[in-house]
Amino acid sequence: MQLRPYEMMIILDPEVDEKTVGPSLDQYLAVVKNEKGTVDKVDIWGRRRLAYPIKKRTDGIYAVVNFTAETTTAKELDRQLGLNESILRTKLLRLDAD
Amino acid sequence: MGDRDRDRDRNDKKDARKPRKKINPLLGAKNVVIDYKDTALLRKFISDRGKIRSRRVTGVTVQEQRQIARAVKVAREMALLPYAGSGR
Repeated sequence: MQLRPYEMMIILDPEVDEKTVGPSLDQYLAVVKNEKGTVDKVDIWGRRRLAYPIKKRTDGIYAVVNFTAETTTAKELDRQLGLNESILRTKLLRLDAD
Repeated sequence: MGDRDRDRDRNDKKDARKPRKKINPLLGAKNVVIDYKDTALLRKFISDRGKIRSRRVTGVTVQEQRQIARAVKVAREMALLPYAGSGR
């Protein structure tokens, strides 16, 4: 199956310690590496005010991850992150679309 | 011939009711990539109520307007920009 470039934006719960964000993201992204994908870039923006509250939170920790993986892997990652309590929201975009 | 040209010019001006404001496509530099993460840029294309400004107002091309609209909507989903109506 074909590998495709993806970008994923993740909003994490502001309750979690900002220092632990990097390691926990690595842990979540292990799926990509295990499924012969590559993580190209992890950009942690840090704490940012939300334009409107999500799950009663007014802030969130933003992170943008660029990775290359198969469609099924990307979807699986999105599913797993969606189940994670400390993640408020995710957005998966394919970079080579349109 | 010179007179006729002048007459036509005058008529054209009269007929053209709205003298086409040729608004600067705001982006100044061409080929700016419209990215949902670039909220500073996108904010120029939304009203203070959070609505997407029409192309009539922004003066961008159809293609650019589509990209902008899509980017604004993605940014709203990620709470980078407010939804219209929220606030005041």
